[in-house]
Amino acid sequence: MIRGSAFFAPVDGATIHVVRILWMREVLVFLSDRSQLLGALSRTFLWLIILGFGLGATLREIEGYTYSQYILPGVMVLNILFASLQSAFGIIADRKFGIFRQVMVSPTSSLTLTLGKLSGAATVSLIHGAVPLLFAPIIGISFPLENLLLILPVMFLLSFGITGIGLIIAVRVRGFLSFGAISNGLIQPLYFLSGAIFPLKGIVGGIGFLDIPGTLRDELRNHGVYAISGGWIVELPYWLEVIVKANPISYFLDILRQLILNFSQLNQEVAVYCCLFAPCLGWICASIALGVVRRG
Amino acid sequence: MPLLSCENLTKSFSGKVAVKSLSFSMMSGESVALIGPNGAGKSTALSMLTGLLRPDHGCAVIDGYNAAENPKEIRKRIGVLFQEYTLDEHMSAKRTLELHAALYGVRRREVPSLVSEALQWSELEAVKHQKVGTLSGGMKRRLEIARAALHKPSLLILDEPTLGLDPKSRIDLWDRIETLKMKGTAVLLTTHILREAESCERIGILSEGEIIAFGTKNSILAEYSKHPNESFQDVFLYLTRQNDSDEIKTRFPKLIRTKSA
Repeated sequence: MIRGSAFFAPVDGATIHVVRILWMREVLVFLSDRSQLLGALSRTFLWLIILGFGLGATLREIEGYTYSQYILPGVMVLNILFASLQSAFGIIADRKFGIFRQVMVSPTSSLTLTLGKLSGAATVSLIHGAVPLLFAPIIGISFPLENLLLILPVMFLLSFGITGIGLIIAVRVRGFLSFGAISNGLIQPLYFLSGAIFPLKGIVGGIGFLDIPGTLRDELRNHGVYAISGGWIVELPYWLEVIVKANPISYFLDILRQLILNFSQLNQEVAVYCCLFAPCLGWICASIALGVVRRG
Repeated sequence: MPLLSCENLTKSFSGKVAVKSLSFSMMSGESVALIGPNGAGKSTALSMLTGLLRPDHGCAVIDGYNAAENPKEIRKRIGVLFQEYTLDEHMSAKRTLELHAALYGVRRREVPSLVSEALQWSELEAVKHQKVGTLSGGMKRRLEIARAALHKPSLLILDEPTLGLDPKSRIDLWDRIETLKMKGTAVLLTTHILREAESCERIGILSEGEIIAFGTKNSILAEYSKHPNESFQDVFLYLTRQNDSDEIKTRFPKLIRTKSA
């Protein structure tokens, strides 16, 4: 049971100070061990460059975007999923060897611990998630910079939610070795069933659209034209479409794709609800998880 | 009124009793050592006192607060040193202490002076900006004790504080613990080193989860020694030998002969 006070305790200056310190601790640990970024860089390189250009040679265009451009938001989400679960699973080592045992015997409230841990881990995941954005100019993506004001919060909310869910899984498993099995068993289905690597509908494999000037392309996109010749129409099996639409990650991805590529395939209203719901769920999960850790 | 009072603390894991009806009390400023063979229940007992484990039965009261009912009040009043290192290798010594101060709600204006005092006490002033991972084992342990005592707790709980330290670092660390005791901080510790236990005011000997002897060194000797020349070590081994008497006979043949004499 979660005590009501954990949720409704007043957030005063001292609480914010401790949250800031705990947040800083997570970020400092990340900055001290930059090898963590290697995973984000290698995933980005493999998916965006190798797979993007490799499969892109066959698929040519997806709704008027190169394959690399199409999957960029998906690679951001993939990095966030990995980094969030990794941060969450870090609690296993922290409980056994790290400072977390010390934190758990301190009088700091569970609310503060949850906020500090989640916000720190979410910030680190956000950094991982932002790595593919650095490749955007290389693969020909440009978007209004002010969109970053929405892109970053969306990424943060996703990270917050996944870290919280990851924490409740992490406190139930015995060792860090389970991370591989759980991350593959959780991340891969969420990723593959989010529309990250294939569209729900539209024209794929068209030719010529990418060869026309960018301004004209944008103009045509504004009129709903995404291909000018060739290609084939995507029609996903009904069951697959249902699963993709039931996967909350699809909506985070869709909102990112909208902000980065100006291209969306799902209901944006649902996407906004997902952005609000996921962190709440993560918060509840993290509170339960840290409560379990604290009570032993 | 005792600072710490335990009554019938009991904890089992998967049906196996780790601590059974543990009862003892200690006063402010007093030092108590819990000793016993591996698996005697010392660390489990401390975990229950720090709130990391919930007892199946019994209760612990610290400074008038029941540990199960007021864990937050209890945590404010105790400083804990775990058997294993619980330091962030990536953080500096200074930042480690600052984090601790924040967690314990130390007023921000008091933090610099308390951190400075802790660094001086632990003689880590010169390396305060170094990452903890680069410090020696002795330095890390000193930092951990300085951290545990930073918020001026009434009770310090130290789980094998000198574990893994070389003799010099051990003596050095023990001297520092003595200074804390002299300042009036009550110290409850576990140790495998009998000389350390003997320097505490009272000693509790645990075996198979139960306290089998509790009192001052002299009172335990008076009650349990069968020979005027028996040392505290002899009595300790005698009291805790139940299940490993063969091993004791092999390793300490002389001691066993003395006992049977």
